[in-house]
Amino acid sequence: MKLLSSFKKELILASRSFYFYVEVIFPLVILAILLFAVPKEINTTSTQYIYLDLPKEVKEIYIDTMLESATGIESEEVELEAEGKTYDVQLIATDEEKFYIVESEEAVRSLAYSEQNVGAVIELDENNQLYCRYYLQGYESTRLKNLLSIVFNEDMSVLEERIENQEVRPLTTDYEPLNNRENAIPPIIALSSCLMGMFIMASYVFLDKTEGVIKAYAVTASPVWQYLMSKIFVVLVTSVVSGLIIVMPIMGFKINYGLLLLLLLTTSFFASSLGLLIASFYDNLAKAFGAIYLLIILLMVPAIAYFIPGWDPFWIKIIPTYPLMQGFKEIILPKGDIAYSLITSAGFLAGGILIFAFTNFRFKKTLSI
Amino acid sequence: MAMIKVEGLYHSYLRNGRYAIKDVNFEIEKGEIFGFLGPSGAGKSTTQGILTGLLQLQKGNVTVAGYDIKKISRKMFNKIGMSFEQSNVYSKMTAKENLYFYSRLFDVKTRDPVELINLVGLSGKENIKTGEFSKGMKHRLTFARSMINNPSMWFLDEPTTGLDPAIAADIKDIIKERNRKGVTVFLTTHNMFIADELCDRVGFIVDGEIKLIDSPKNLKLQYGKKLVDVEYTQNGKLKKETFSTIKKEDKEALKKIIAEREIRTMHTKEATLEEIFIKVTGRGLT
Repeated sequence: MKLLSSFKKELILASRSFYFYVEVIFPLVILAILLFAVPKEINTTSTQYIYLDLPKEVKEIYIDTMLESATGIESEEVELEAEGKTYDVQLIATDEEKFYIVESEEAVRSLAYSEQNVGAVIELDENNQLYCRYYLQGYESTRLKNLLSIVFNEDMSVLEERIENQEVRPLTTDYEPLNNRENAIPPIIALSSCLMGMFIMASYVFLDKTEGVIKAYAVTASPVWQYLMSKIFVVLVTSVVSGLIIVMPIMGFKINYGLLLLLLLTTSFFASSLGLLIASFYDNLAKAFGAIYLLIILLMVPAIAYFIPGWDPFWIKIIPTYPLMQGFKEIILPKGDIAYSLITSAGFLAGGILIFAFTNFRFKKTLSI
Repeated sequence: MAMIKVEGLYHSYLRNGRYAIKDVNFEIEKGEIFGFLGPSGAGKSTTQGILTGLLQLQKGNVTVAGYDIKKISRKMFNKIGMSFEQSNVYSKMTAKENLYFYSRLFDVKTRDPVELINLVGLSGKENIKTGEFSKGMKHRLTFARSMINNPSMWFLDEPTTGLDPAIAADIKDIIKERNRKGVTVFLTTHNMFIADELCDRVGFIVDGEIKLIDSPKNLKLQYGKKLVDVEYTQNGKLKKETFSTIKKEDKEALKKIIAEREIRTMHTKEATLEEIFIKVTGRGLT
């Protein structure tokens, strides 16, 4: 009864506070960005500006060869602008590549510079062999430079033979990759539902400390853990709401919402307990800001590993947000590992209970300070 | 029966042997109003903090309303009311919401929030958010909240601070009324007038040590001058004389003046509590 009253009171206070709306508006903004700014699939078409510094006949043969090299190639005359000048160019496009055949080396340089794409000048050497000079951006790796050098200037038949003889064996046929929007969900939930929840939880406690109401609560017959738990309930509600705001419009009914809610609740419980624990050491938000900021930075490091799968050192796996993001990913993957998500939920619940117990002990001693 | 019993109480905030209060001993009987008087930093709030469980008991024995503070029980707070010097109400909630919320945190029958709001002169303000209240209004609401659980042990920290005289008089009347119904009051203040008016006994605390405990009446008798100032009219002229209340001839002369003259004013030259405090402790109250 006391817990319910405290929860109702916290809901009233939250609905009248700035932080509550931050937690609801933030996912709406993120959702809008995902839906309207992030494409489902990243366009991987490469663009090159090419000047064929060749005799007219050779140039025509070269272009004809390009047009005949594959099916579905389109060619058209277009105008391009760069550095205040307009260039008439021939566009030769496939699904994967766009080649703009320009009329001068100056146009190649200008377009490559302004559009930040690769430019190339194809010429004949003294032995009447084709060779190519590239205009790059400067940040390309040595591996890419070597590749460009091989692709154009070495014997292509060797490369073709190697590629055709590669044996590709899929280890599983179950795996279906996520599109860009879906793939962005786990780190966003980690940020909006969990890290934000931790910060907002600490803010709620500091607000109580500033108003002195925490002392008034300390002289009631209600135990401290109920005071703390009522605040956690509010953060759980807002975390679930903000999580669903992001997940539902993108994933629809493709995922198991029971699992999602379980992981959302357990991870938010863990994060909000952590927020409470931090708040128990400080008098106000200004004093706690440094600790909260450092913790948020640390907890966001696994997001780097999430987006760079090749970088996955052991130490990053023990940061709680790593299993948190992987757990959410398994839920939204079409054939994700349910056991991993369940174990992750159990882990966060256990961790949350331990932190909560310690926080309760801390607050019992320092509730009035 | 003692409602509060304190024996050998010490407290050090830094636990380094520098005590904010040292060897504090006193008892408060049921139904008594006990004034705890002292200047800022004397140890009043520390003592009150320990008695109300807001500060951990480090050394000494304390029982409040029959509960041992060493093993504090939440049930104890059903019997305790606490009005803080600094108003502490939820500014984003209305006066009624504030009191209603606190009324749900006790296991005993609680008072009607609106009745309490009216009692402290905030009628019609129950549905206004307390963030819009003046300092005095918040203070009154904090005072009203301390009565929500009908406490039998009532801690009051500067209950009339910042209130205008009329409101302060109402608050004092409420305290007297509750005391008449058997409520024990622990009043912490540096206002000697309110202590003088309300308290059955007062304790003077300075530098963490209790210097004296007695009733205001006894203290005045002990430390006041045994003289009476009288102003009266004689032949249309105002005259002023001072008489000893001990010397026989002065007593006779005073009796005669009272019988024969028109008395304008008459004051005993008793000492004020503040004067006694300074005399006993060698310190002022500010």
